[in-house]
Amino acid sequence: MSTTPLDRRGQPVLAQWWDLFQMELTNWRWSWRGSLLQGTITPMFSLLALGFFARDSGREALLYVVTGNIVVSLLFGTMTSVESRVSWLRFQGGLDYVATLPVSRAAFVLAMVAAFLLLSLPSVIVTAVLGPLLLGAPVHIHPLILLVIPACTAPLAGVGAALGMTGRTQQQSGNLTFLLMLVMTALGPVVVPPDRLPGFMVFLGHFSPATYAASALRQVMVGPVTMRLLVDLLVLSVVTAASMAWVSRRMGRQEE
Amino acid sequence: MDIVYAIENLTKFYPKQTSPANKDISFEIRQGEIFGFLGDNGAGKTTLVRQMVNLLRPTSGRITLLGKPVAGDPQHVAAYVGYMPQMAHALNNMAVGEALYFTAHLRGMSRADALHERDTLLELWHMGPLRDKYSTQLSGGERRLLRLAVAMAGRLPVLILDEPTNELAPQRRRLVWDVLSQINRERGTTILFITHDAIEAEKVIQRVGIMRDGELVAVGRPGDLKRHIDQKLRLELFFAPDAPPQLPAGLTPHELQPGHWITLIERREASALLEHLDLERLDDFRLYSPTLEDLYVHYAA
Repeated sequence: MSTTPLDRRGQPVLAQWWDLFQMELTNWRWSWRGSLLQGTITPMFSLLALGFFARDSGREALLYVVTGNIVVSLLFGTMTSVESRVSWLRFQGGLDYVATLPVSRAAFVLAMVAAFLLLSLPSVIVTAVLGPLLLGAPVHIHPLILLVIPACTAPLAGVGAALGMTGRTQQQSGNLTFLLMLVMTALGPVVVPPDRLPGFMVFLGHFSPATYAASALRQVMVGPVTMRLLVDLLVLSVVTAASMAWVSRRMGRQEE
Repeated sequence: MDIVYAIENLTKFYPKQTSPANKDISFEIRQGEIFGFLGDNGAGKTTLVRQMVNLLRPTSGRITLLGKPVAGDPQHVAAYVGYMPQMAHALNNMAVGEALYFTAHLRGMSRADALHERDTLLELWHMGPLRDKYSTQLSGGERRLLRLAVAMAGRLPVLILDEPTNELAPQRRRLVWDVLSQINRERGTTILFITHDAIEAEKVIQRVGIMRDGELVAVGRPGDLKRHIDQKLRLELFFAPDAPPQLPAGLTPHELQPGHWITLIERREASALLEHLDLERLDDFRLYSPTLEDLYVHYAA
């Protein structure tokens, strides 16, 4: 009988991430329905409903509706899908499987967020293309959009993962996410220009990543791109890093 | 023989509970052995193995795997131990072949070896036709076999299996015991499992641990433990489920299933006792020499 070697290790971190990313991509088998319904149809209805009102309020209001609804697509599609995935993992034993594989937790969280980022792209593209067409709002796409879309998706996916790790039950996580989704859509200048919002809502909007995502998207779809984009990207990166670090740490905390 | 796991004075309290789920447990698992845990539901078996795979933190005590504490390095257990949890939904989105391939690769195999491992496991567990099916499309028994195969993927030196044969049909239960026996014999894999299936597990178990109310009340070879009770015989009694058993005084049976009772009696008392049994009220009775299940009943019930 051979003795057990003491130098067993799994794969290098990059190979772990690639495997986990492919494993997480298999979530499309259930998440496409949510992406289609919540990530595409919900923002399209919201876009049409708000767009008819905004038409009378000028071009700026119309462009807020167009860009804001891409954020709505990310909130309703990506954030909810990631929350569902994480809370399902927690309550159906999936974390046991991941935690007993020789993989880094950070690699797992990064793989999950990256997979859902990719899975959210079809809804975002549909909303970004159909929105301006349906409302007749002219947009001027800046190449930086290629950086901005992932930068907007990642923090919302991260917040979704954190929400999934939070509730005491799967249902509680889902309810909390639904509430936060509505709050983040309404607070701050996401779909409505700031001069149409009460002052306290504009102020509270500073604490919502959706506000920074909407601002970044407006700059690369409508213009002009200013130094404000740097601030937006910085805040979105901090939210991404903080939420993912918190989720990785929390996953490592053994369940009691 | 090398020690794979050493558990010393392990105690586990869950928050807001006054009695421990595991109480001052100490034992060792040796390399290449098949070790079975028996005990009633709630005896603390799952809590114990979850601590061994680092999914739960002990309140006090120490667990070492191959001489290294499991708590210090989350990767240490994962590098050596394939764990099959009780819950069945971990792999829902993946096809059977994907789950086996990715698990084998993540556990250190090359991509080519992981593909080969996938095919070997599909054949070993008679799951070839299920390769492209998603876990959600499998029956309960197929899903359990998949989780067993996933635990084995990557050929780790230690396997910890939480109820590997629960809810399986007899043919599949036999397959499980045959496969575990085979990999233990051919690869020297150390196997630790929890089971309620004492009679069938007896074919493969080399050492057994019996738990009751959070305590490990007996550890040893079934043969050695049986010697403590070999002056006894097992009496099984079958009543109509709706008829309460009427038994001679001093007999304290344990109900295995509705209407199916089991107890251990002293050899010298057997004939007197049988004379006192009211055979009119019994559907059936059987008398055996002790089995592993009797050890379980003796220590755990």
